Amino acid sequence: MAWNRVAVVGAGLIKMGELFDQSYEQMASGAFEACVASVDKGFEPRQVEAAFLATQRGTLWGQEGIGGNTIPTAIGLTGIPCTRIENACPSGSDAFRVGAMAVASGVHDVVLVIGVEKMRDKSSEEGLLSRAAAGHPIFTRGETAPVLFAPFATRHMAEFGTTREMLASVAVKNHHNGKLDPYAHFQNEVTIDEVLASPAVCHPLHLLDCCPQTDGAAAVLLVSADRAHEFTDRPVFVAGFGVATDHPYLHEKDSFTEIKATPLAAERAYAMAGVGPDRIDCAEVHDCFTITEILDIEDLGFFAKGDGGRASLEGETAIGGRIAVNTSGGLLAKGHPIGATGVAQITECWWQLRGDAADRQVDTRNGYALQHNAGGRGSGVAVVNILTNRRDG
Amino acid sequence: MTVGVLAVGAAAPSMRVAAGDIAAAWDRKSGRGTAAICAADEDTLTLAWSAVDGALRSAGIDAANVDGIWWGTTRPPYAEGPSLAVLATAVGVGGHARGSLHAGSPHAGIDALLGAADAVAAGTVRLAIVVVSDALRPGPGSAFEARCGAGAAAIILGPPAGAPASLGLRVTRMEPYLDRYRGDDEVETRDLYDGRLFREEIFLPLVQDVAGALRSVEPRSWSLPDPDGRLGAVLAKRVGGGAAASASVYAALGDTGAASALLGAVGAFDAAGSVAIVGYGGGRATGVLVHVEAPVPGAARVADVLDGSEARPASYATVLRARGQLVPAGETVPMGVPPESAMFVRGAHEMLQLLGGRCVDCGTISTPPSIHPHCIACGGPKLEPVALAREGTVYTYVINHTMPAPFEAPLPIAVIDLDDGARVMLQVADDGTNVAIGARMRLVLRRYAHERGVPVYGFKAKPVKES
Repeated sequence: MAWNRVAVVGAGLIKMGELFDQSYEQMASGAFEACVASVDKGFEPRQVEAAFLATQRGTLWGQEGIGGNTIPTAIGLTGIPCTRIENACPSGSDAFRVGAMAVASGVHDVVLVIGVEKMRDKSSEEGLLSRAAAGHPIFTRGETAPVLFAPFATRHMAEFGTTREMLASVAVKNHHNGKLDPYAHFQNEVTIDEVLASPAVCHPLHLLDCCPQTDGAAAVLLVSADRAHEFTDRPVFVAGFGVATDHPYLHEKDSFTEIKATPLAAERAYAMAGVGPDRIDCAEVHDCFTITEILDIEDLGFFAKGDGGRASLEGETAIGGRIAVNTSGGLLAKGHPIGATGVAQITECWWQLRGDAADRQVDTRNGYALQHNAGGRGSGVAVVNILTNRRDG
Repeated sequence: MTVGVLAVGAAAPSMRVAAGDIAAAWDRKSGRGTAAICAADEDTLTLAWSAVDGALRSAGIDAANVDGIWWGTTRPPYAEGPSLAVLATAVGVGGHARGSLHAGSPHAGIDALLGAADAVAAGTVRLAIVVVSDALRPGPGSAFEARCGAGAAAIILGPPAGAPASLGLRVTRMEPYLDRYRGDDEVETRDLYDGRLFREEIFLPLVQDVAGALRSVEPRSWSLPDPDGRLGAVLAKRVGGGAAASASVYAALGDTGAASALLGAVGAFDAAGSVAIVGYGGGRATGVLVHVEAPVPGAARVADVLDGSEARPASYATVLRARGQLVPAGETVPMGVPPESAMFVRGAHEMLQLLGGRCVDCGTISTPPSIHPHCIACGGPKLEPVALAREGTVYTYVINHTMPAPFEAPLPIAVIDLDDGARVMLQVADDGTNVAIGARMRLVLRRYAHERGVPVYGFKAKPVKES
């Protein structure tokens, strides 16, 4: 193998939510401290050689110039190199991949990957909703975030008989899991009837089919595997990763029953890890909307195309089901602080593979966890990272 | 040289208000008929486009063969700006077309007709579009507010040989009187004169003078001005031709300003005989005769356009909001790309002409061309510009209920496979009840938004009614 093996030796996040009382820097610092505290044998912050920051919309919190240089001073490490990675909703996933490559290449031995996002400092109108009119003058206006995914729901329902109840079952499961995760934005259960009766946001998606706008931050520590023993006796390893792109705009797509970048990214990650979807014990996947998770679990190869709705409704993705999906509560319940989301998903995988997931713990008999995000205006990018607790994996 | 009339078209906006509702808001008893009101995405320019589109399609005329366009509207959408160029580009008239924009009073509609007729008669233009449109914006509480409406008409002029109708006698009279007035710094039109003064000393003397000159041919139908809902009937009685053909147009749409004279006449072009058209505004009255020998393409469809059965009823509050006279407190968040952006220069033609780039190698159409130097299907670099098909079928759709101003819910948005194979994603001008996978759509010009005060136009999809 041409790359050096990479270990994850620390991971942490802050409680997700509407964090009006915390600055961007305070959130970053909180996540970094949680990450440092998670290192079994202790960690001296000055050991960080380089950092990669994931923030998707720096302008959302009112500062145009947010970049990698914001982080070192905020976490007391002024002087270290820090680079911002922006790649739409998978920004955190991709920052993790870039950090892993920095270690795998042998350039750095200890790398911090941190994701931070302020979603709520601006009003909804000034934040994501203002994208309704963004872009080239010829492009569709009125395109809020649900418009980027609801056309997939319409088509999936028409082609495969997927029902609103099936969509709702995803929200029900993820809220249930979120209630078991102390870091989740929402700490309440919902019922299928409540999801169905919630206000229409963008037909066929209703309010509880949609993730909230959440502030949050998460951080993980990557080290060269041959030095992992300095930090922990229970390391988790990077088994593989893949990134893929698709057309950036919806009208350029020829299919609305799959997110084409996802199977392509997954194929690359599975090949690198030397495993297939049947070996994955649990997965944190991109569920910005209920339909997205149904697409994901098909596109990642866990279920046949068109079968994701049925599988969700019948509990096959619940903790204890055929494959546990979004044990953290997912974006729907834990929240979607965009740049932090992927890093927080990695944190959940890390806990699961170390047996630290408490009431959410999955039987990791194969020793593999998968993390996935998709995004961009028309789901033009997807990232898949695969982690393992197997020293030979 | 006489001038032929080849086709006509008409357009009305999507909302209707009962005149009585407006009168009641001001404790007035009177108020008969309805008035047509523009929705947020309609204005005088989109109505003009729709009327021209109807006229061209009725006669099977390709806009690319038209070499002149004359537009009359009291109030062009850009007080100073590219009003005519935007309309001409969206209509599909070539960039070298002649023509002019007439504005400033309701007489602008007649001015546009005569300007085009003179150019055709002189031989400088072979095929001319005349389009007249208005969406009036009266001051709230003004005496004529309840009759102010919106609408458009279009007439295609050309060589007389073989034309079903032709233009005849014309007569004009003017006096330097004020009547309806709007100063350069005002947005709402107001009445200056006492109603009796206007009627007895200005309106009736001028209009009767020119109408009298047309009576000698005993016109089969009349289009007569009716700025207040009463004067039209008075005129008809004095002219002696029975109820004017324009009366039903006024009753359905209200006063359509610069559009009113032609809009009141084009429906009567469906049968042989002479039609007398009288326009009034800005101290000027003009009469024009049209001699119809055979039904003019498009004339029989005017009644369908005026029929308001598909229009949405609007309350007075809705009317005030639509006219920008009832606005919420507080600042609105600017939406979209600022119109001064170079993006609007690069995108102007592909947006208004709805262009795509067809791959020379595989035939796939990528749109818009300015962001597709390479084909979306094969990646090839050789694309040639093509005008996209104007009809298609819904592949998938959503109905958006949650958007910031200026968007209004429910807003359907559909991915549409056009009949030439191109795929587009557009807003649908509908409340969602006529949108489904497989539904047929036609593309129509609408006003997307006022971007920082500048109107921005583009195409939306509209469900095609099964007939």
